[in-house]
Amino acid sequence: MPRITDLSSFNEAREAGLAKLLPPTPRIAIGMGTCGTGNGAEAVLQSFSDAINQRGLSIALARTGCFGFCAAEPLVNVWLPGKPLVILQRVQPNDTAAILDDLTAGRIPAGLALCRIDEWDHITGHVKYGSGFPEIPLWNEIPFFKGQKKIVLRNCGLIDPTDIEEFLAVGGYQALYKALIDANPASIVESIKAAKLRGRGGAGFQTGSKWEFLSKAKADRKYLICNADEGDPGAYMNRNEIESDPHSLIEGMIIGGYVTGASHGIVYVRAEYPLAVHRLETAIHQAEEWGLLGDNILGRGFNFRLQLIEGAGAFVCGEETALIRSLEGKAGRPTPRPPYPADSGLFGQPTNINNVETWYNVAPIVVKGPAWFTETGSPKSPGTKVFSLVGKVVNTGLVEMPLGTPLKTFVYDVGGGTANDRAVKAVQTGGPSGGCIPQEMFDTPVDYETLAQLGSIMGSGGMVVMDEDNCMVDVARYFIEFTHSESCGKCIPCRVGLDKSLHYLNRITQGKGTEADLATLDELGRMIRDTSLCGLGQTAPNPVLTTMRHFRHEFEDHIRASRCRAGVCEDLALSPCENSCPLHMNIPRFLQLLKEDRLEDAFVSVVMDNPLPASTGRVCQHPCDDRCRRSGIDSAVNMREVHRHIADSIYPSPRFPDLVARLSALRKPSTGLRCAVVGAGPTGLACAFYLRMLGHDVMVYDSNPNAGGMLRYALPDYRLPKEVLDREVELIKLIGVDFTFNTRVPADISLNELDQRYNAVFLAIGTWKENWVYLPGTELTGVIPALPFLESVSKRETVPLGKRVIVIGGGNAAIDSARTALRLGSGVTILYRRERKDMPAIPEETEAAEAEGAKIAFLASPHRIVGSPDGRVTAIEAVKTRLGEYDSSGRRRPIPTDEIVRFNCDTVILAVGETVDIDFAKASGLKISDRGLIEVDRYSLETSRSKFYAGGDLITGASNVSGAMGLGKKAARNIDKRLTGLKRWRDLFPKFEYDQAAPAHPSDSRRHHVRELEAEDRARTFSEATVGLTSVEAMEESCRCLRCDVRTGDH
Amino acid sequence: MPAEFLPGDAPQRGALSFEEQDFIDRLIASHQGQPGMLLSLLEEIQERQPHKYLPADYLEYLAARTGIPGAQIYSVATFYALFNLKPQGDHTICICRGTACHTRGSRDLLERMKLQLGLVPEEDDGSADKLSMTTPDRRFTLRTVACFGQCALAPVVEVDHAIHGHVNERALDREVDALRKGGA
Repeated sequence: MPRITDLSSFNEAREAGLAKLLPPTPRIAIGMGTCGTGNGAEAVLQSFSDAINQRGLSIALARTGCFGFCAAEPLVNVWLPGKPLVILQRVQPNDTAAILDDLTAGRIPAGLALCRIDEWDHITGHVKYGSGFPEIPLWNEIPFFKGQKKIVLRNCGLIDPTDIEEFLAVGGYQALYKALIDANPASIVESIKAAKLRGRGGAGFQTGSKWEFLSKAKADRKYLICNADEGDPGAYMNRNEIESDPHSLIEGMIIGGYVTGASHGIVYVRAEYPLAVHRLETAIHQAEEWGLLGDNILGRGFNFRLQLIEGAGAFVCGEETALIRSLEGKAGRPTPRPPYPADSGLFGQPTNINNVETWYNVAPIVVKGPAWFTETGSPKSPGTKVFSLVGKVVNTGLVEMPLGTPLKTFVYDVGGGTANDRAVKAVQTGGPSGGCIPQEMFDTPVDYETLAQLGSIMGSGGMVVMDEDNCMVDVARYFIEFTHSESCGKCIPCRVGLDKSLHYLNRITQGKGTEADLATLDELGRMIRDTSLCGLGQTAPNPVLTTMRHFRHEFEDHIRASRCRAGVCEDLALSPCENSCPLHMNIPRFLQLLKEDRLEDAFVSVVMDNPLPASTGRVCQHPCDDRCRRSGIDSAVNMREVHRHIADSIYPSPRFPDLVARLSALRKPSTGLRCAVVGAGPTGLACAFYLRMLGHDVMVYDSNPNAGGMLRYALPDYRLPKEVLDREVELIKLIGVDFTFNTRVPADISLNELDQRYNAVFLAIGTWKENWVYLPGTELTGVIPALPFLESVSKRETVPLGKRVIVIGGGNAAIDSARTALRLGSGVTILYRRERKDMPAIPEETEAAEAEGAKIAFLASPHRIVGSPDGRVTAIEAVKTRLGEYDSSGRRRPIPTDEIVRFNCDTVILAVGETVDIDFAKASGLKISDRGLIEVDRYSLETSRSKFYAGGDLITGASNVSGAMGLGKKAARNIDKRLTGLKRWRDLFPKFEYDQAAPAHPSDSRRHHVRELEAEDRARTFSEATVGLTSVEAMEESCRCLRCDVRTGDH
Repeated sequence: MPAEFLPGDAPQRGALSFEEQDFIDRLIASHQGQPGMLLSLLEEIQERQPHKYLPADYLEYLAARTGIPGAQIYSVATFYALFNLKPQGDHTICICRGTACHTRGSRDLLERMKLQLGLVPEEDDGSADKLSMTTPDRRFTLRTVACFGQCALAPVVEVDHAIHGHVNERALDREVDALRKGGA
């Protein structure tokens, strides 16, 4: 084995390595980090190897580390002499034959290409691969890598980690050579200090200062330790660094040893990382053989030994004093500092500990100098940091970014946002020692100081993205559960404090928490933070303190309303579907009742949970679909259509009177108390139904001549036929709710009069005011707001509509307007300023509109409406937009370009959102929020005026039918509690006996969809556009339910 | 041959074969005086056992030969999650409880596995994070790990040392069924 002793033997080895990286033949290198092998890289390698042997090809086959884009694994690098290195993504064994065909023909498999690399800056070296393939993007042009700067990861995924010659070829051990030749250790310590390299393990202490302490310490033996006990759940950059580039760690440590006078190095690696252990062992062995490690390194008389120790699974050993005790053969319990390890560390000798990544920054600083290093990053935190970006983002992987990069760059630009249209809620940084940063604060630059100000820490660089399916109370509980079990037990604040914290958090997630618990948790957290012995305890409360600070409303929901919106805390929900339903329908129950062929029971179950099951069965946004566990097997149970079927089977049938009688029998005896409901829309109807069922006298006022609100006057007939709604209103009348129509509040009857006549008043007048866009030309004839348009059509009034209609907006009102205009014989184009995926409308509705002939222009923002001299609309001009930065809603902001497009038209319908009639709000004398909505207590829905409650869109702004009805239901519950002083809500609901066993095997049936009429047929008529499920289909849907409501085992 | 540990039997004291004594003696010699010696010794002794645990007679012999107090060895063996004082099952299913896996539903996988294997926690202290349970027939051990560092593949389950990424309940059921049949 060649020992490197001088420049010529050094250069010889480099040439040998370069010949491997850039051979005269094509080269294929497969990413074989743990992520790659977990995704099937072994099989890909085997397949390549077999095929190359069989065909007798002259192609070099190699293994490499990981290039960091975990979501695109297995990654395969292919290179043709003189051409750029091309990285292929998601390569499967059955792709290999075609790849080899292409390479032997001098082509690149275009379909699999992720990016190309023309040349690579290894910092301590440089490799020119070649040029060509302009059609393949450069590596830093694709979103995941854009903005990344690979200093630490300079070699990862590009060289064979088990081949020291390849490492030498890209400039490896260059820095060590320089350090030993220059023979000026003090100047290297100065360089590290001047580079302001901060410890990458999390605390961020100045590395140069630590080295200086050690170099000044006097002792026979000094130790250097690399802390590779990467224990933060969610962080795995150290694993990849060691697996992909072990020699850079060794080089950094030898230099450290040389400049501080330490002769012994120890790498303390997690035993959970077998591949990292194996590769590092191999690399240590190679370095020793080549004369780069051990005695008389590079012939310069310096001796340094390096030993690898496997940890045994104790998180606390990431703390330096605990790690030292562990190496001494003791339990890993921390000890107080001082004495600091630099004075008295391992076996009482001076010791310095640095994190893996810190060591990786040493060689670049030695070669390039501190001024080069401080060019990157922020002034106080120079350089880069590797983050593991995981959780609910599309592009997961290791991301090396300059310090100071804003969080939103990580989540949206690099990470690509969430995969499933769920809104991002927070990013957890720093693992169990860190905290959760809410989406509103994603402008935060990621550096040591800023994260600390928000109560989090940088930590080892874990970044776990969480979306609205994650419960922040559960996240806090999860981390405390972790630190609680990892606490070494030595000091009382940590041992007992975390136990108590966990106790309170468990209570809250079980719905047994109190407001006082929050105060106690806060106090406990501060005590643990301030008085614990080591870093584990001092940072352990961070996840609780930050979630309580930034997500207090979630804690309050759990405590005050026993509600876990994300549906994570099982004790607070019957099933994921029930939890997601704004009306909290017991969905598994009605499915099971139908399955047991008990249609009437199923109807009672449905109506008692949701008094408008046929209407909502047609128009609900069906959040239940997104939560259904069956979608893990094939697709969600079509719950909405099953309750539509149940309702449609009863309402028009001869059984209807019997069921009215059955429901009336459930009604509580009369209380003699009187309630007024203002607004006969879905919210008002829901509230009125329940108040009546609870035995109160209920009068509903509405300005229109009939009940239904938006359901009647804004929803077109093809979505909801009026006779369906009529039957549902009929039921509500039959159980005894009274109506006064054509009466306005407060014009015809004042709030004071209501106050005098009734014991409680519920306001639910909705949002009937169309938002107005302020564009030149809105005064022209032919510009009409969406709601009055839809209302006129539904009242069968004549609407002057042109032949060419432009609809502005992307919500349900916009789509309803477009489909209605189509049915009136017009041609329709919808202008929407964002992308399709940002549209608030129900996706099925948008697709139906397009099938019926509506055109949609995305990324088009109206600029002005053009009129004829006689004041009629003739055209609209829109500015094409491009997508800019992400805004606080997590959508990309549309930015106007110079391009203007013109659409000739004669009618413009404005559907840009509805709002509360501010005149009503002001006249009511009730407290109004900044958004012009009526302010209520979040839990009781009571307004600023006693006896007056409000709900629906009036308090939330324009929303959707089921959400609004949910608030009506909730108001009824609170009004009754207030009026009677009794908690009798639960008694209202009948009990059903039904099978309580989950199906042994999921049924084989696929999801049944409603049938849509042919687009060209339905687009000419206002008859209903879909046909509901048949009885057989509804039954099969019921059988598909997995019965998440059935509790088994230890529940 | 390593001492066979049968359910219900007390570990036999002082029954280490000459071969095993020799193994430990050589192990001690190779690590003597090195930092991290005790951890390395215990790791290698456990690895040698077919049922991956630290039999009491080994620990006693180790204490006698190294001069490290038995109490200290016991303290270390019980402190670190990787060491087992009880024999492990023929097959080990290890569910990652890291943050990324947690946010992607690893707790449901854990509950599902407990149910599948008929395991009931010995004492339910509400912390399901650090767990190791073996079926009475010693076929299966169910464990958790703080984090495998495979977060991009979340949720991750290790079945007999092979990492499986993006696992769902169905896939896990299939794995266990295959192991059940395979080892019958």
